[in-house]
Amino acid sequence: MKLGLRLTLPAQVLVLFISVFPLLMQLYISLTDWSPLSGAPWPRAWEFWNSFANYTDIPGDRRLWAALGRTLLVMVICVPVEFLLGLGLGLLFVEDFPGKKLAYSILIMPMMVVPAVAGYMFFMLFQSGGPVNDLLSVFGPVTIAWLSDPWLALVAVMVADIWQWTPLMFLILLAGLVGVPQDQLRAATLLGASPWQRFRTITLPRMKVIITIALAIRAIEAFKIFDTLYIMTGGGPGVATETISVYFYKITTNDLIWGYVAALALFILVSLSIAAQFAMKRMAR
Amino acid sequence: MTAIHLQGLTKRFGPFTALQPMDLEIRDGEFLALLGPSGCGKSTTMNMIAGMEKPTGGRILFGDRDMGAVPMARRGVGFVFQNYAIFTHMTVRQNLDYGLRMAGVDPGPRTAAMAELLGLTDLLDRPSQGLSVNILQRLAIGRSAIMEPAIFLLDEPLSNVDAAFRAVMRTELKSLQRQFRQTMVYVTHDQLEAMTMADRIAVMDHGVLQQVGTPLQVYNRPANTFVARFLGAPGMNLLPGHAVQSGSAVQVDLGPIGLTPPLPGPASGPVTYGFRPEEVTLDPASPLKLPVTHVERIGARCIVHLGPVKAVFPAGTEIPSGVVGFTPGKPCLFDAKGGRI
Amino acid sequence: MTRAILRTLAILAALAVTLIPILWMVSMAFKPPSEWQAAGEALTWVPRAPTLDNFRYLFGQGGSDLIATLDRTAVKPILSSLLSASVGTLIAMTCGTAAAYGLSRFGSGANLPLALIQLRLFPPMAVMIPVMMMWAFLGLMDTWFGLALVYGIVTLPFAFWLMKTFFDDMPKEIEEAALVEGCTRWRVFTRVTLPMMAAPLAAASLFVFILNWSDYLIALLLTTREWVTIPVYMASLSSSMTGQLYGAKAALGLIAAVPPVVLGVLIQKHLVRGLTFGALKQ
Repeated sequence: MKLGLRLTLPAQVLVLFISVFPLLMQLYISLTDWSPLSGAPWPRAWEFWNSFANYTDIPGDRRLWAALGRTLLVMVICVPVEFLLGLGLGLLFVEDFPGKKLAYSILIMPMMVVPAVAGYMFFMLFQSGGPVNDLLSVFGPVTIAWLSDPWLALVAVMVADIWQWTPLMFLILLAGLVGVPQDQLRAATLLGASPWQRFRTITLPRMKVIITIALAIRAIEAFKIFDTLYIMTGGGPGVATETISVYFYKITTNDLIWGYVAALALFILVSLSIAAQFAMKRMAR
Repeated sequence: MTAIHLQGLTKRFGPFTALQPMDLEIRDGEFLALLGPSGCGKSTTMNMIAGMEKPTGGRILFGDRDMGAVPMARRGVGFVFQNYAIFTHMTVRQNLDYGLRMAGVDPGPRTAAMAELLGLTDLLDRPSQGLSVNILQRLAIGRSAIMEPAIFLLDEPLSNVDAAFRAVMRTELKSLQRQFRQTMVYVTHDQLEAMTMADRIAVMDHGVLQQVGTPLQVYNRPANTFVARFLGAPGMNLLPGHAVQSGSAVQVDLGPIGLTPPLPGPASGPVTYGFRPEEVTLDPASPLKLPVTHVERIGARCIVHLGPVKAVFPAGTEIPSGVVGFTPGKPCLFDAKGGRI
Repeated sequence: MTRAILRTLAILAALAVTLIPILWMVSMAFKPPSEWQAAGEALTWVPRAPTLDNFRYLFGQGGSDLIATLDRTAVKPILSSLLSASVGTLIAMTCGTAAAYGLSRFGSGANLPLALIQLRLFPPMAVMIPVMMMWAFLGLMDTWFGLALVYGIVTLPFAFWLMKTFFDDMPKEIEEAALVEGCTRWRVFTRVTLPMMAAPLAAASLFVFILNWSDYLIALLLTTREWVTIPVYMASLSSSMTGQLYGAKAALGLIAAVPPVVLGVLIQKHLVRGLTFGALKQ
């Protein structure tokens, strides 16, 4: 066998192993009522055949659509906020100033904190007797029960996400900003462009690709949001902060309705693939 | 059109002095070349005129207006960058009318006129990426010129251009300047560009202004040994010697080479005796004698090495071998510190 | 001038927001149980009586009158995290580097770039049921190597893309020279290319290690008791007497947070490349 093929073989095997087998298994299970508690090993899941019942259940799954809506809400709030904050910070870091390297090293720290640990940090911060309320109480005594209020819990979760992932935007966008040719910015200045005009006509168009990449990466990750959120709220109170991943986790480990989970997983995979194809085509243009 | 006055202009970067206090008048409508080797302070000077760098000391006046507090966006200076800094994500038209659009002025008629003037009309809606370098140069100049700046600054615009193409670009640049009639400051390390295009040349070295004058003045009457050596290819011959007074004239004892013909003016002690390679004539009767060590024949000219001295003759000249006598024309004398006597 | 002041203020504010959560956890980690919660009194930002008890407690020592000694210490979870993340990194880097080289030099496996991006696109949650079924079948549930294998697959895209851009950047002339000398392609790869790529390999490995070390969800699903990793163990730390073991959890969080932050600073200049699948270089 050729060396090139031999070199790529292990990776190909792993990719097949994680895509083809699971897909086939999922397809099989998704057509049954099988669960780990069924008393039969999974190869015998056909004994619990229920044809397409799992799929027809999806449209009526209110908890699913609520979770999806919440996931999208987190996405459309957090990603733009992170983008704007990251861009603002990036613009501050284009010019040199004393202590820049140290400030940079500190500012990118949050994204390297283990997400579960970050979740725990914010769990502590948002305790009713915790530092957030303590800081807010300069305006008067505050005892907000952040994590047990449905909407405030979601806010707290988003704050944690923004804290952890703004540095990523900052890091990527700064790399892009630094790459904008200085001479072009100076030329624009000498032609009378204001800072805002320079930003709009030179910086932004030059950063288009980078901005797209940064937004895409963050949007994908935000869609999968689990660790911080689950540690902070466990999806609660009730189901108030349940996102797609949390919902999946719960019906997998608590409800154990694996046939339905498999159907749902396939549904999500197919939807995401279509969305990705669509997005790629638009990006290519 | 505006005159530029530099008064005691100084620039230091930390402990390093990039520009010693410099006084220079750039006349209204003049094409002045700032000429010098890299690191001589010429670009720093121009960046300060444009407002891209802040002077450490001294003043810059446009006409009678002090530019100290005027930011670069409002100096009304046209600037052509070494790499032209074309906005490659825009079309030719978008580049050309950029300044007008930013100022909120209707770009239509002025853009068309400028494109016509520069021969860019057919290219207006082409993307500016991938255009040839002479078109980029025209575009860079047009983009600034459309704002009708009083002053035009050009930062080595030909240094990235193929040698073969430079002559074309020089001619084009000079004719553009004649059309616009603006005050132009042109930074270059290439003496040929300075000599062919400039009205006056300011020669700089190590952050010090060495001499200002017309191309012929700085060529024929260099203020010091640096200018003498820097201009001309090859540069001026400079021989160390000893001045000997003879009546009202001076002769220079060049040691083994001989005693020079008399020159006007008083001088004494150690001096440097300089003369252009082009001004050397072979003359068996001359008191100055050196052996021919090497002959370079390069097309229309031949360069004859007489030990430390270089002489330039037309291509067909018969060069004798062995020790020859020679007479330097238009000699210059420099004192021990290199200044002209 | 005012601009410089505004900039300084903005950066100081960003630094404060960045550091407060981290410093609060550090502060918590050194607080005795009595200071864990602001029971009626003012919140303590700096521990009044700093102590290492929280760390001792994690490793099975003491406990106080408030909390019983742990029956399961943090030693094994730390070991589990280390083993699974390191071996996962080894798997991802070995397969990723080989495949990246194969694609970069021989054009083999042209499907991999897109396939691996897609792998990254899907929520891991959506493929975990079959993995759990297979792992149960193969006896890999609740083992560090079962976890390591999943880590190796999940971080393979990063290893592959990073190494691919590094190989693409590497001048081919040196390899060609070695080939002319009569080396086989395999020898060139192992004796010339890999040693030359030592620094990028190290950077990519550290990057992949950070990702593996940071996992929570996969360990939550694939480990149950014996080989739980630090985050899973941390989430389970609580006592019926005191509820949340704030200080001990903070101490553990600190232990978990230090390696990636230190490694992250080490590979700072490769972070952009790593996080954007090599699309951007710093």
